[in-house]
Amino acid sequence: MINSVRNTVLAILNKNNYGYISPSDFNLFAKQAQMDIFEDYFTTYNYYVNKENARQSGTGYADIKKGMEEVIDYFSLEKDLTHDAANKFFLPSPTTTGEDYYFINKVIVVTSKAEAENVSNKNITMLTNSLLTSPTDLFPAYSQEGNFIYLYPNTINTQGDVRAQYIRYPKDPKWTYVSLSGGEPSFDQSQPDFQDFELPLDDENNLVNKILQYAGMSIREIQTVQFAQAEEQIDSNELK
Amino acid sequence: MAYISAYQYYENGGVAPTDSNWGSYQYVSLFDIVNNFMLMYQGNHSLVNNEPRYKILFHAKRGIQELNYDAFKEVKILELDVCDNLRFILPPDYVNWVRISMYKNGTLYPLSENIQTNWSDAYLQDNDCNILFDEDGNVLKPEESKLDLDRVTGQKKSIYLNQNSQFDGMEGYCYDGCWYFDYTLGSRFGLNTETANINPTFSIDRKGGVINFSSGMAGELCVLEYVSDGMESGDNSKITVNKLFEDYIYAYIEYAILNSKLGVQEYVVNRARRRKTALLRNAKIRLSNIHPSRLLMNLRGQNKWLK
Repeated sequence: MINSVRNTVLAILNKNNYGYISPSDFNLFAKQAQMDIFEDYFTTYNYYVNKENARQSGTGYADIKKGMEEVIDYFSLEKDLTHDAANKFFLPSPTTTGEDYYFINKVIVVTSKAEAENVSNKNITMLTNSLLTSPTDLFPAYSQEGNFIYLYPNTINTQGDVRAQYIRYPKDPKWTYVSLSGGEPSFDQSQPDFQDFELPLDDENNLVNKILQYAGMSIREIQTVQFAQAEEQIDSNELK
Repeated sequence: MAYISAYQYYENGGVAPTDSNWGSYQYVSLFDIVNNFMLMYQGNHSLVNNEPRYKILFHAKRGIQELNYDAFKEVKILELDVCDNLRFILPPDYVNWVRISMYKNGTLYPLSENIQTNWSDAYLQDNDCNILFDEDGNVLKPEESKLDLDRVTGQKKSIYLNQNSQFDGMEGYCYDGCWYFDYTLGSRFGLNTETANINPTFSIDRKGGVINFSSGMAGELCVLEYVSDGMESGDNSKITVNKLFEDYIYAYIEYAILNSKLGVQEYVVNRARRRKTALLRNAKIRLSNIHPSRLLMNLRGQNKWLK
């Protein structure tokens, strides 16, 4: 998809001789655009949940929320969390699980097969002191601090005790190329650092619009930005 | 929790204690209750939304505690010897007593709760009745109050018609086979049925955590029937609810949360309250086991002549 997006962006930019963006600029804009759209998934998902609560959403093919869930779940992973010390475990990161996380959806205590509940730092002390609700093996809890989570009861303290299901960030897209004799870059997806967009195909339009906005800003061409914004607005209205 | 095989039920899979699953099918566990509530009654399209699990757990436990106090009718029974100190330390999960009996000669004798106190705290006083303090300003106390001492040594008289009765050993008149006594102050006609019991009496010191008996209980065996709150000493895996009350517990949790949540319409709260109350009523009726055959047995006695 990345080559198609780039070709479209370049075609629009070149049509009126607005300018040209280099592969490295394109990769920067592509990463930014992908992140924008990725983060929008969650607000859009919430929007459709509210629509469903207001009985303004359908089922079957009209169930847009389900589609959003599928898109988000594409980025879902479940992995063991690395143990640090006592009841302290590392959050997912490139050095421990291999990637950064965007959203921790659930933390599971492997030994008891129970889901640990996220409790704010404000409440965790009161909760552990509570007679009725203090965390137990059946109802464990965790709080978050920096790059760590703290599991309660603190008998959860061994490597392999804790797994997390989380949403990772999409990988940075990279349009790779080989230089031809005239200096013209030619798309080459066989390069080891090639990375396509991870968003679904139906987001290609959005990607083009977002990248055009960044590119327009870059080459100081306000018409390009306005065009892309108008396109984005149309797309957004169609969804509602 | 998964369903278990017959072997698992009868023999616990051969693991001791082998009786641990007996009767377990009557109950649903706390874990299942919280899990089911989070799945079925909480979520984006439910009345209860965005509530942390520990709140559900709290209300589930509170509901179970309330049920244990009366609706469940699940009485625990503990037998202990009463020594010369005439004291029975309340069990660790004690909340309230149902019946206290003396087990003697193969028979359970139900004891009466003394309508008067039989224990007391005391302060040391001088001859002018001034209270005495130590150098830190704390009041000085004797090891035992006079009331306690007299009770333990058997000198305290009782208004009950037992061995410590105030009339025991008094001079009276035997007329026509019946004994009559003079009263030092005022007079009384007929028998005070409230205190007409020969068995020893007891009084509960709730804060002190003991049952204090009259001296007639020294060396006797006491059987305490009591109710607990069902919290099983904090072991969540053992907390259960009778299945007849399962729906009620869900309704109770839902009501408790809606009732304390900001912005919930009053009619929604009222609906939840009525549902909870109706389900409790239904469960109590079911648990009371009113069977036609049992009613029939009772009705058969309706024409029996009473003398």
